[in-house]
Amino acid sequence: MILFMGDEFLKNRQHITRKHFLGKLGLGFGSVALGSLLMPDLFSGKDEASVSAGMAHFAPKAKRIIYLFQNGAPSQLESFDYKPLLTKMAGQELPESIRQGQRLTGMTASQKKFPLIGSHFKFQQYGQSGAWVSELFPNIARVVDDICIVKSMHTEAINHDPALTFMQTGAQQGNRPSMGAWLSYGLGSENKNLPAYCVLLSRGRGNGQGVYSKLWTNGFLDSIHQGVQFSSSEERVLYLKDPQGRDRADSRKMLDHLASLNDLNYKEFGDPEIQTRVQQYEMAYRMQTAVPELTDLSMEPDNIVKMYGADCLAPGTYAANCLLARKLSEAGVRFVQLYHQGWDQHGNMVGEMPLQAQDVDRSTAALIMDLKQRGLLDETLVIWGGEFGRTNYCQGDLSKDNYGRDHHPRCYTIWMAGGGVKPGLVYGESDEFGYNIIKDPVHVNDFHATVLHLMGLNHEQLNYKHLGRRYRLTDVAGKVVSGILA
Amino acid sequence: MRLKPFLLNFIFFLQVLLLFLLLVEDRIELPVVLQVLGRFHPAILHLPIGLLFFFVIVVLVQNEFKKKSFRRIALYILMFTSLTASITALFGFFLSRQGDYGGDALFQHKFSGTALSILCYVLLILFDRKGKTEIAFYGCGFVTIVLLFIAGHSGGTLTHGENFISGPIKSTERVDNINQTAFQQAVYPILERKCTSCHNPSKAKGKFVMTSIEEFKKGGKKGEEWKSGKPLESRLIQYIHLPLEDDDHMPPDGKPQLTIQEIKLLEQWVRSGGEFDKKLTDLREDDSLRILAAGMSHQNEAVVEKQYSFSSASEKIIQKMNTPFRAVFPLYMNSPALQADFFIKEKYSPNSLEELKEVKDQLVVLNLSKMPVKDEELKTIGSFTNLEKINLNFSEIKGPGFVDLQSLKNLTSVSLSGTKVTIESLKPILSLPALRELFVWSTGITNAQVASLNMQYPALSIVTSQFVDDKVLRLGKPLLENEGLIKKGELVSLKHSMPGVTLRYTLDGTPPDSLTSMFYDGPLNLTETSKIKAIVCKEGWYCSDVFEITCFMEGYKPVKTELLSKTVKYYSGQGSASLTDGGKGFVEVLNTPFWLGFREEPLVAGFDFGSDPPDVRSIVISFAKNLYSSGFPPTEVEVWGGTGTRDLKLIKSMKIDQPKAYISSQVEALSIPLLDAHYSYYKLVARPVEKLPQWHDGKGKKGLLLVDEVLFY
Repeated sequence: MILFMGDEFLKNRQHITRKHFLGKLGLGFGSVALGSLLMPDLFSGKDEASVSAGMAHFAPKAKRIIYLFQNGAPSQLESFDYKPLLTKMAGQELPESIRQGQRLTGMTASQKKFPLIGSHFKFQQYGQSGAWVSELFPNIARVVDDICIVKSMHTEAINHDPALTFMQTGAQQGNRPSMGAWLSYGLGSENKNLPAYCVLLSRGRGNGQGVYSKLWTNGFLDSIHQGVQFSSSEERVLYLKDPQGRDRADSRKMLDHLASLNDLNYKEFGDPEIQTRVQQYEMAYRMQTAVPELTDLSMEPDNIVKMYGADCLAPGTYAANCLLARKLSEAGVRFVQLYHQGWDQHGNMVGEMPLQAQDVDRSTAALIMDLKQRGLLDETLVIWGGEFGRTNYCQGDLSKDNYGRDHHPRCYTIWMAGGGVKPGLVYGESDEFGYNIIKDPVHVNDFHATVLHLMGLNHEQLNYKHLGRRYRLTDVAGKVVSGILA
Repeated sequence: MRLKPFLLNFIFFLQVLLLFLLLVEDRIELPVVLQVLGRFHPAILHLPIGLLFFFVIVVLVQNEFKKKSFRRIALYILMFTSLTASITALFGFFLSRQGDYGGDALFQHKFSGTALSILCYVLLILFDRKGKTEIAFYGCGFVTIVLLFIAGHSGGTLTHGENFISGPIKSTERVDNINQTAFQQAVYPILERKCTSCHNPSKAKGKFVMTSIEEFKKGGKKGEEWKSGKPLESRLIQYIHLPLEDDDHMPPDGKPQLTIQEIKLLEQWVRSGGEFDKKLTDLREDDSLRILAAGMSHQNEAVVEKQYSFSSASEKIIQKMNTPFRAVFPLYMNSPALQADFFIKEKYSPNSLEELKEVKDQLVVLNLSKMPVKDEELKTIGSFTNLEKINLNFSEIKGPGFVDLQSLKNLTSVSLSGTKVTIESLKPILSLPALRELFVWSTGITNAQVASLNMQYPALSIVTSQFVDDKVLRLGKPLLENEGLIKKGELVSLKHSMPGVTLRYTLDGTPPDSLTSMFYDGPLNLTETSKIKAIVCKEGWYCSDVFEITCFMEGYKPVKTELLSKTVKYYSGQGSASLTDGGKGFVEVLNTPFWLGFREEPLVAGFDFGSDPPDVRSIVISFAKNLYSSGFPPTEVEVWGGTGTRDLKLIKSMKIDQPKAYISSQVEALSIPLLDAHYSYYKLVARPVEKLPQWHDGKGKKGLLLVDEVLFY
């Protein structure tokens, strides 16, 4: 039946006269031509390769990023978002006019009461900016005039994995390239002896949440843009030493021969991943020289060790990762991603939060000061923050001297420093319950657009065609937050 | 058909009224009602335009109608065209008598509008006279339409301002010129965006024209509109701050309003004297006007790129400059300015710097951080005349070569942290005209010297140590290098990551101290399972907390191991094998193949040493003391010995001390000493805690016994 009808349509089309055909054609071309007037780039022959040839689109403010990811979502209410009203109203119910039907996690969905609770820790204003910082972060308080606190972040996910994946890749599902991969793709590597994108992990003493390699994946981008995870052991990059009985010259000979074989293969199949592999081998060879110097922390002078704290010499600690991040960044690594686990305080906020803060406070502040005294802070963007915020009410029963907070996507705090961000600024505002944003909301997509903007990239032009459509880190949204630009 | 003559007459009346009013214009005092009617002018003006075009269309397709009906339809359309045109013109007149319209555009609009109204009437009359005057009719129609365009355009100029239509094309032509004054660069763009659509020579609302500096200074009908230095007394600023509902509020309600930044900038310009000649670059870096202006350029999101006077280097040359150890690249796409980075100090040579001379005009940023650059090489750097930023941190620069940098008139930022430069040698750099930042942390230059330099050079920010903290910190604990069970002959080594620490330890369970305890000077040869307690100390630091770890040594291995009691779900490990396979578990992660957990039943296990049993001096149970997970030591252990499962006798039983409060988790050794034990078969019984103590969260419940290994020595 369908075939038959198709036949009829075909016959009908065969009866089109030349006049009719040309007429239609003229109209079609005319409408396309008219449309193209509105889209100057439509016929310019530009494709994604020419737009992002590993170079900034315009003058960048920041050349490198160090992202201090606080995995598990540190509570904004115990760190940077001071809400005295919650202390005053401690134990009272969260008003429905504030909650406005916000969905809850599976952990508190069956909870009958939502008693408000203020910070157990004292707040104070610091610096010329007069920003409020909790007593848990005395060292970050010292550099408060160098940082820009954004109190109006909001996200779409309510559980760790999707929220973390969203924050890192711009999508919740976890098959897209992460921020570092996009930057490596968009800007290329500054130092060809090191990966453009390095990942360092550490674990705190609080309730933790996992991190997975999908967070630093290249997604559909070329695999050279994948994040390189450093080991937390003493040997930060594994298998970098020459194997027994083989020296550097032997390796060179072997690699040259291997490259020629790979080249034959490439000529036959034309798979770009072959070239990528050859490049990776070469970089690994050069890393044999570049990495030991960077990862050897024993040569750091005493004043630096004191700045970052004694832990900075013990591999795998947050402090050591901060120090290593500075060294990698100084050596031209485009994107250094840290993850510090243990910020998921569903209970025992009073016990765990100080331990977590103690682990990160000193070394984070040290990183800012260290970059500053080397003249690197203005070209390095430092980002500190988690994947969402925490609720203003207690999870579980509110006891006399302890409490916990559940996940809260509607409003949370992160801060940034250096790299073209306005120092000493507090941007955005939450309501006095610390629950909703009342001024200058910043969506995760906006955050990504802003970070790319600081790196000299237009987030709408940095794209990659995959499965028939162009993808961006910000997908179809995102607006540069011009209010925080210096 | 009484309507037609009535309408014709009424329209005629309107024409006369209009002409009359125009004649006596100056003497008219407009009643309020008419003022209101006047404000409908912008709305109803669309009627005659639409009707006129509709009429044209009907005339064009007249063949589609019967002749008679065409004439009737067309006549009525034309009649209403003329009627609305007259009313529009009249209302327009009312409107022109209020508000602050003035200038050329108003005159043009008034004239063309009136003419249009009259022409429409003439057209109507001509059409009504049945085609005898066809040429006159078509001629008049053409003129009417032309006039419509003129009236429409001049009206548009009145409401939207001059260049409204050509705006998008023209504004892109404006090029930022370095020679522009602050007024031209920062202030005028705001006026142009938000004010000059009304305050221009052709519209001149309130008789205030902002498009030329003279007129802008002169002010409007109330006189000067702003007083230099006094923003609060300036009407220009006052009107902006009036509430939106206020009639005097500027820009009027409905027009694009000024942003906070724009208001601040205007205020600051007036406050700072309202000057027209100063350039932005003449102002100090921290001048409020300059900062606001800089903020504005971001706000418009149109990134104003710095303009360079030199041309790009060829792509070929740039490519040639790039090696794995020297990266040379444009600052951004299509920028002629280049950055050069050097990596890996072993690969640096003065020659590799020299080679950059091929791009010496384009080089703007140079990063030589950690390269062994010496003072002589500053000569080469001095030839990169457009250099703006140089990083010489941790290089071998001492300072005498700085004289060679005096040619760098564009140098704004110099990093010298970690070098051996002295304050005297900095002189040639300090006098560089463009210099704004200097980094001298970790050099011989003291904080006091930096403070005095900062006084001398206020425009220059000199950065030194950011870290001033005399607090003494505690060292971290040492670490054990060995992993798992320690093999026979394996040395046990402790380490600490900080150079220059002293490490002291004890093996007898007593806490170590920083003076008398054994000094660690190399790996230890332990013969049996022992608990190491260690601390590290260093001058200028507090000693570390005590590090405690039990080193489990390999023992005799039974031929066969049997587990004779039931483990708890989740902690079933690999059954009996877990006990003697040498696998050591971690105390934080208990649900692994290493651990066997017992709660309901005690641990009962048999160990068969076969026909040639060794002399056993002690048995060690390795258990997890993890009180938070209810992992307690056993309360009681029994050791039975014999030749097989049947003839066993009790050879040892022990009661074990229990913890009195929460303590940190550890894998611990419970050692059971034996005398003259030479059995081929041992049975071990260890009982978990029956009732958890009062201080524990799980008080009253049964405790857990977690064992990962049983060792025989």
